[in-house]
Amino acid sequence: MNNFQFINVFYIYLLLPVLLFVIILSLTIYKKRIERRTKLWQESIAVLISESIFFTEGEEPEDINDNYSNLINLPAYRQCLINEILKIRKSLSGISTVNLKEVYEALHLDEDSHKKLKSSKWHIKAKGIQELAIMEQVKYVKKIFKLTNNPNELVRSEAQCALVNFYGFPGLRFLNVTVYPISQLQQIQLLNVLYLVKAENFDPVKKWLNSTNKSVVAFALKLAKFYNCFEVYDDVVKCLQAPNSHIKLNALEYLKNMPREDTPHQVVATYSYENKEYKLAILEALQIIGTDENISFLQGRLQDNDDDIKAAAAKALSKLHPQGAAYLLTQSFADLNPWKKIFLQISNERAA
Amino acid sequence: MTVLVVEDEIIMLKTIELRLKKDGYNIIVSEDGRDALKKIEELNLDLIITDIMMPFASGLEIIGAAKNKVGKKIPVIVLSAMGQENVVLEAFQLGADDYITKPFSPNELSMRVKRYVPQGV
Repeated sequence: MNNFQFINVFYIYLLLPVLLFVIILSLTIYKKRIERRTKLWQESIAVLISESIFFTEGEEPEDINDNYSNLINLPAYRQCLINEILKIRKSLSGISTVNLKEVYEALHLDEDSHKKLKSSKWHIKAKGIQELAIMEQVKYVKKIFKLTNNPNELVRSEAQCALVNFYGFPGLRFLNVTVYPISQLQQIQLLNVLYLVKAENFDPVKKWLNSTNKSVVAFALKLAKFYNCFEVYDDVVKCLQAPNSHIKLNALEYLKNMPREDTPHQVVATYSYENKEYKLAILEALQIIGTDENISFLQGRLQDNDDDIKAAAAKALSKLHPQGAAYLLTQSFADLNPWKKIFLQISNERAA
Repeated sequence: MTVLVVEDEIIMLKTIELRLKKDGYNIIVSEDGRDALKKIEELNLDLIITDIMMPFASGLEIIGAAKNKVGKKIPVIVLSAMGQENVVLEAFQLGADDYITKPFSPNELSMRVKRYVPQGV
């Protein structure tokens, strides 16, 4: 390496950290400036919104446009406004939310949220749906309904929750047409939104129980259990014959919750053709819905080669057999380990 | 009648402040727990409304400070989010007088405040 090359390398090594420092410093200053600006905006928005919530007669919320005309056209300020309105909307109830909705509409912020639905980016689309749902913008329902079948799972999920948010149980009508699976998480989210919603007409549940979309059937079973739908009992029993084990397990959950006299018989009838997970679920269900008539069936399972099946049958027998847990001790293997310990534990559980 | 409102969300703070000012109360605000503790020490307050989750010092610490103030036990209304039942129980154990769960109506809060301090004007 000659002297000239050495000096070049030296300068590069000297300049690189300086350059890096300048970049970090500029970014930090920029970030701080944005934070300061957002904080100032948040303060002005807080005043604007709180005054609008409690505006007195004669002062219409439209006045806001005049008072904040300089800022109101800035897209970043409008987004900040939307964010703050959503934040306060989640914390308030009562008449003030009506005024808040009027402010959102008077400032045409609903149009900003609506524009997001046309974005090619999924997260912007999802945010737009969420904003419209929280602010109860039912007028955009047609566009949101179309998004319930969007290929992106999160967009779909937001759109589905928005419909239920707007209409309650009838909002689930997207289940008639949805072609994509409804994930477990989404099912839980929908049930959460439905938590305080009353439903009167359960005819759609019957239809969903016969859907070609397996996740719709599984969700319909959860809904049937959630709303204690007696009307769909026969359709649920049919689901015990479904090839999908997830559907069968959900059907079993419903039947455990709303058994009829012949339910244990119908459940046991499907036992022999099933996989181990479902067999265990049947034995567990019999602990709750089983009767004297199931004792001989359970005694048979007590001789099964699979230890998990044997233990589940023992638990059910300890509840159904007239001798209770003492019956288990009459078995030839009752003195052998691990059965000695298992039976002792079952016996203790029964005593507790 | 002086009410201290402790809430880290500015918009919520402003909303509560404005609603209670309409009832004629003198409102003092704090955006964080540390500032609130200082104000409890220094000022003569008639009521405290505090959120539970606060930066620097939690709502529970604020309740403790309000109840241990020499010469005066200041009534405290706690603002809590859904699913914070355990914290609300802890707040009551520390001496909180009332609680209100978000989302709440500002008018309901106003009524609850009137139970502890008579209307300002």
